[in-house]
Amino acid sequence: MFGIYLTGPFGQSQALYQARNEEKRGRGTKEAVSQQMIKDTQEVLAFQQAAHLDFVIDPSFSLYYLFQPFAEQVEGVRVGPQENWFNNNVFYWRPQIHGPLRMQTGFTEKYLHLGHFPHTISLAVLPSPYTLLMLSDAQGYADTGAAITNLAELLAAEAQHLVTKGIRRIQYDEPAIVVKQSLGSLREEDLSLLRRAMDICGHISGASTCLHTYFGDAGPLLPYLSALPVDGIGVDGTETSLNDILKQTYKNKEIALGLVDARNTSLENPEELVEKVRKVAEKTHPKKVWLTPNTGTEYRGFTHAAQKVAILGEAKRILEMEVREHE
Amino acid sequence: MNNVFPTYEVGSLPKLNARVKAAKGQPVSGVDLEELRHYAQRLSIPCDAVIGLFERQNGEQRALTAEEKSIVTDFNSLFNLRLQEQLGLDFVYDGEARRTEMYHHVVRHVKGFELAPEMTRSRGPDSWRMGICIAPPSLKEGSLPALVTREFDFATYHAARPVKVPLDDPYMIAVMSDNRYYTELVKSQAPAASHPRQLRYEAKQMFTLALAENVIRPQVQALVERGAQWIQLDVPAATLDLEHLPIMVAGINAVVAGIENVKFSIHVCYPRRVSLTEKQGYDLLFPHVLKLHPAVNHFSLELANADHYEQDLAVFKQHQDQRRFEIGIGVVDITQEQQVLGRMETPEIVRQRILRAATVLGDPQLVFVAPDCGLRQLQLERCIQLYETMVEGAALARKG
Repeated sequence: MFGIYLTGPFGQSQALYQARNEEKRGRGTKEAVSQQMIKDTQEVLAFQQAAHLDFVIDPSFSLYYLFQPFAEQVEGVRVGPQENWFNNNVFYWRPQIHGPLRMQTGFTEKYLHLGHFPHTISLAVLPSPYTLLMLSDAQGYADTGAAITNLAELLAAEAQHLVTKGIRRIQYDEPAIVVKQSLGSLREEDLSLLRRAMDICGHISGASTCLHTYFGDAGPLLPYLSALPVDGIGVDGTETSLNDILKQTYKNKEIALGLVDARNTSLENPEELVEKVRKVAEKTHPKKVWLTPNTGTEYRGFTHAAQKVAILGEAKRILEMEVREHE
Repeated sequence: MNNVFPTYEVGSLPKLNARVKAAKGQPVSGVDLEELRHYAQRLSIPCDAVIGLFERQNGEQRALTAEEKSIVTDFNSLFNLRLQEQLGLDFVYDGEARRTEMYHHVVRHVKGFELAPEMTRSRGPDSWRMGICIAPPSLKEGSLPALVTREFDFATYHAARPVKVPLDDPYMIAVMSDNRYYTELVKSQAPAASHPRQLRYEAKQMFTLALAENVIRPQVQALVERGAQWIQLDVPAATLDLEHLPIMVAGINAVVAGIENVKFSIHVCYPRRVSLTEKQGYDLLFPHVLKLHPAVNHFSLELANADHYEQDLAVFKQHQDQRRFEIGIGVVDITQEQQVLGRMETPEIVRQRILRAATVLGDPQLVFVAPDCGLRQLQLERCIQLYETMVEGAALARKG
């Protein structure tokens, strides 16, 4: 009924920063960076296992932005100009898509350490086709419908490929739809595009899926999001009112509550988190409630990211204790 | 001093290689000393004393003493001033020679902040040391000299041209910091049913205003007491959070309110080009910036990188019936990518950009000329070439 997992890249360690900085300035080597990355990855995987996270995620230390595997590895796409990643002092490079893209798979593997740690990593994050399209420059398509269909097919194929590598949950990151909602620029057409994409990639054989929204208020969109053909939806609890979450029912749908703020070092009270999880479970009847950070913990450093994992673990311990007492 | 299309530097210049190495206790190479001698001669700055100092340090294989560091820093400040003056800039400063880096320079002088244990990633591998606000922020006692007054006194004493002082804007510090204190404060005082977005807004507003009142305004007051005529507030991240633009404006107004006889400008760069709204670029600043205090009458903008002068400046023209802002137009691209590619504007391109801007704004008197942003990340020789190109382009533009 309850579970916990991380939803994105992990905060970098000072040792990794130093290795990268030395390499950037010509004083260090790529090998030193790679070794530190593997060491840190092992540590984060161990954290997740110790905290009994239900899915284990690669901390993505080699990934600088969500679209990087797509922009750098997919034939027909190149890396474009840099932009701010929503309202963060963090940047991404806008993919330049010359579509339609031919179907190709395996483009995320290099970034997921699947070869280094076989059968350990069970959750993979992919961009949602809608966010990817909104933040890219796409050419060569008859219209946006054709573009999103092509991207959704490509991402569905990649998700299916990852299942063969041991992935059991696919998370599609979808900040754009809720940010547009928050900024008042969302149109009916946007919702149609997202629906069209999820019709294609929302269900993946051998894995559960979650459309994870963040950086914006999902509240007004919850009736719509909960009707999408996807196994679960993720909501940014630092942007969305709990009252709005409680207004909806999520029958046969999982809900991931991003109540742990990955963009603030203030530490949540696990008891209060448990209380909120319990309320959502009781009042909205989801198939399962997940407690998660609102987004990846890369917006702060390794120390604070580890503290957030510990909070998740403690919340899970309390929840499991309550269940045992109830039984 | 040129009355039409006056030129200025936005902020930082790279530190001299010899100084950086010596400060780290590393040997200063013959190449570094030769470079220093070459530029010093070119700028007619006596350098024998500082070169002798580096040579002694090399011979004794030791780090610089505090007194030696001070001599070297003064030399670097003077070097930057003379560089700008001799290359013909109309408004000058010390190239932020006494500052480590714009954000860290301020945050380390603020009570109520602790530094994060690790660097946070920002742009690829580039990272910054985030400050975490754990109590109401205020300047540490006695920090003003190290923060700003010593550099200002030195610059004004030595400058042969008017100076413009760059300072961090409070909103920029808020955006780059972890707002733990006000987030917890607001949550603890809010009714249970409060919307989290509203709480986040309130926490950021309180944080920004506290920084404005207790960290930035005291610096401005100290500068004004010493005779500063022009202060530039740096807010590169102005368009980062579209819903929080009123906070940015409120922060600036809290800094400048009631301070008279000073010109204030704002430096904004790399605005969001993909905003997920119908607006993009500097359009995003409007209508919010119309509420800026009347003393803030000048924007310094990055424009060369995008080279969309007509589109980017149209919004300023459109609102001239309400506010006639002067614009310091960025005419040279200062990105490392251009340096790597060995590309640079020509004076003719600069001339055209200036005239394009003047045409859009409808009044040449509103146009000042500047690089896109500070030059700290570039090689010194490239900085000199960029200044030369900019100054020559402005001279051509004055001829029409």
